[in-house]
Amino acid sequence: MIAENTQTQMRKGILEYCVLLIISKGEIYASDIIAELRKAKLLVVEGTLYPLLTRLKNNGLLSYNWVESTSGPPRKYYLLTEAGRDMVTKLDVTWMELSYAIETSKQIKQ
Amino acid sequence: MKRTLNINIGNSIIHIEEEAYEMLTAYLNEIKAHFATSADHYEIVTDIENRIAEMFREILSQQQKQVVEVGDVNHVIAQMGTVGQFEEVDEETESAVPPHHEGIKKLYRDTDEGIVAGVCAGFSHYLEVDVRWIRIIALISCFIGGSGILAYLIMWMIIPRAITRSEKMYMKGEAVNLHGFIRNFEEELAGNPLLKRSTGFIAELVEAIGRVLGKVGKLLLKIIAGFIILFGCFFLLFLCGTLAMVLGFWDANPNEYFPLNIVNSDYLSTMIFAFFISFAVPLVALILYAIRVFFNTRPINRTVSFGLLIIWLFGIMTSVFYITKVVSEFKEEAAFTEVRDLKPYGTYNLVINRSRFFSKEDSVRYQINSSAYRGRVILNDEDGPFQPPRNISLSIEKSDNGKTTLTQNFSAQGKNFDVALKHAQNIHYDFSQQDSVLNFSPQLQLTKNANWRDQRVDLILKVPVGAKLLLNRDFDRYLQRYGSWSCEGEDDYSEDVKVWTMTEDGLKCNQHKNDTPQTEAP
Repeated sequence: MIAENTQTQMRKGILEYCVLLIISKGEIYASDIIAELRKAKLLVVEGTLYPLLTRLKNNGLLSYNWVESTSGPPRKYYLLTEAGRDMVTKLDVTWMELSYAIETSKQIKQ
Repeated sequence: MKRTLNINIGNSIIHIEEEAYEMLTAYLNEIKAHFATSADHYEIVTDIENRIAEMFREILSQQQKQVVEVGDVNHVIAQMGTVGQFEEVDEETESAVPPHHEGIKKLYRDTDEGIVAGVCAGFSHYLEVDVRWIRIIALISCFIGGSGILAYLIMWMIIPRAITRSEKMYMKGEAVNLHGFIRNFEEELAGNPLLKRSTGFIAELVEAIGRVLGKVGKLLLKIIAGFIILFGCFFLLFLCGTLAMVLGFWDANPNEYFPLNIVNSDYLSTMIFAFFISFAVPLVALILYAIRVFFNTRPINRTVSFGLLIIWLFGIMTSVFYITKVVSEFKEEAAFTEVRDLKPYGTYNLVINRSRFFSKEDSVRYQINSSAYRGRVILNDEDGPFQPPRNISLSIEKSDNGKTTLTQNFSAQGKNFDVALKHAQNIHYDFSQQDSVLNFSPQLQLTKNANWRDQRVDLILKVPVGAKLLLNRDFDRYLQRYGSWSCEGEDDYSEDVKVWTMTEDGLKCNQHKNDTPQTEAP
């Protein structure tokens, strides 16, 4: 249980970071985000993405545009706001620190 | 064949099968419940719905089909993730998930597991009791004045049948959500023969009896139908034969015989035909219905049966019309009397003479020289079904003036008095006296082609006091007030001829013709 909980916590944080990274590359549709995440082998179901996107949007990190679709009604395309880009920069730094911490921790163990 | 629904999801119209729809609804309800506590739940759910609609459209266009099936919904759910999978990732909303609850239970009839109409099976789900106990109770209650049967029928009418998947799940008390659906599906796929086997011995027995009764009942119905076809066809043939006969194909003058000579010959044929239709059409309908039961096919279509009905109604109306017409011919009655003096004798011998004299009419009919018919007799005493009723009565009374007379009273009916009188005049009755023998004819004759109009002859024989009459037993049929039965007593009643004497008080029976006392042999 404890192991699972820790895993969940780690995944949750990294998922958010990854999503922001994917969106930072340009305007993108929700299911394409999923595709990118799959490619990165960060397996999630689509249903988890929508609450996350909504939360990020409400925190001012994301915004979206309605883009006409060839089939069906228009789709929501997400992009980063200024605050979002700042956040990504901050998270980049945090990730470097964490990565260093983990590398270092592993070295000490050896 | 499956029922489909049109739904509006994410601003798209999607055709979806009913089962798939139920599954999707359960899934969306679960998602809504999951995000209910979240402030942005409306937006999240809308996003998810839009995406689901998009996935449906993709599936439909890729597979080039019209309707979303259960498999497609499963595919979409797998991609979108179940609420359980959300929980793994999203801890914030974890507390919002309602604990897995048992669904609300509703009473339905379970026709999948039921034997008759699934009432017992439905109760077993509702009360969570094994169905066999409920069936035993139901069976016992049937023997308490049949109240169980009535109760069953009422419940059959009142309790709805579980048709859709969600109704079946309500019936079993399973939560109507995705877990429930998936479990339900798996059970259906894997456990079907197993479920059947798990019904107990009693259930199997009851089922078997029901099956046997059903088959026996069906067989019995078919046998009855077969008999109806067979006898119906025979009767129809007989009817056709009768029609041919009375319409005169086999006999030149059917209207000379009794039941038919009631009807005026002008419209006899029409009336016979109308009668034939009135009887034959229902018979044909009965045969056709029996054929339908026997062969499980519809031998004729609606138009033909409607036509038959019209023909039948026409036949009935024509029959009624002519019946009233004929009945009106019996409205008035007329009578006339002839009195004849008889030669006086001390003893009269009254005889029913079966032979009758040739009349003038007969001589014409049988082409005998009209001057030579007198004295010839016809031996004729047919007493069959086609003879008119013997409307002859004889009463013997005391003569006031010492003479012996015979009064012949001829009467008949008609639509008015003149016609009735004419009919009465058509009567020909043979009576003759040969010395002391009085010959009475057993029947009256009508002139040729005369219709039967209740023609009757009332004979009154007046004899003086003291005269003796020898009466044959044959007269019982015609004699008013007296009969051989009133002259029996202790005597041997096998004696045919009885002696009567006219007294002041009327006719008295005194003795046998040969009243020699019987001697007992030692």
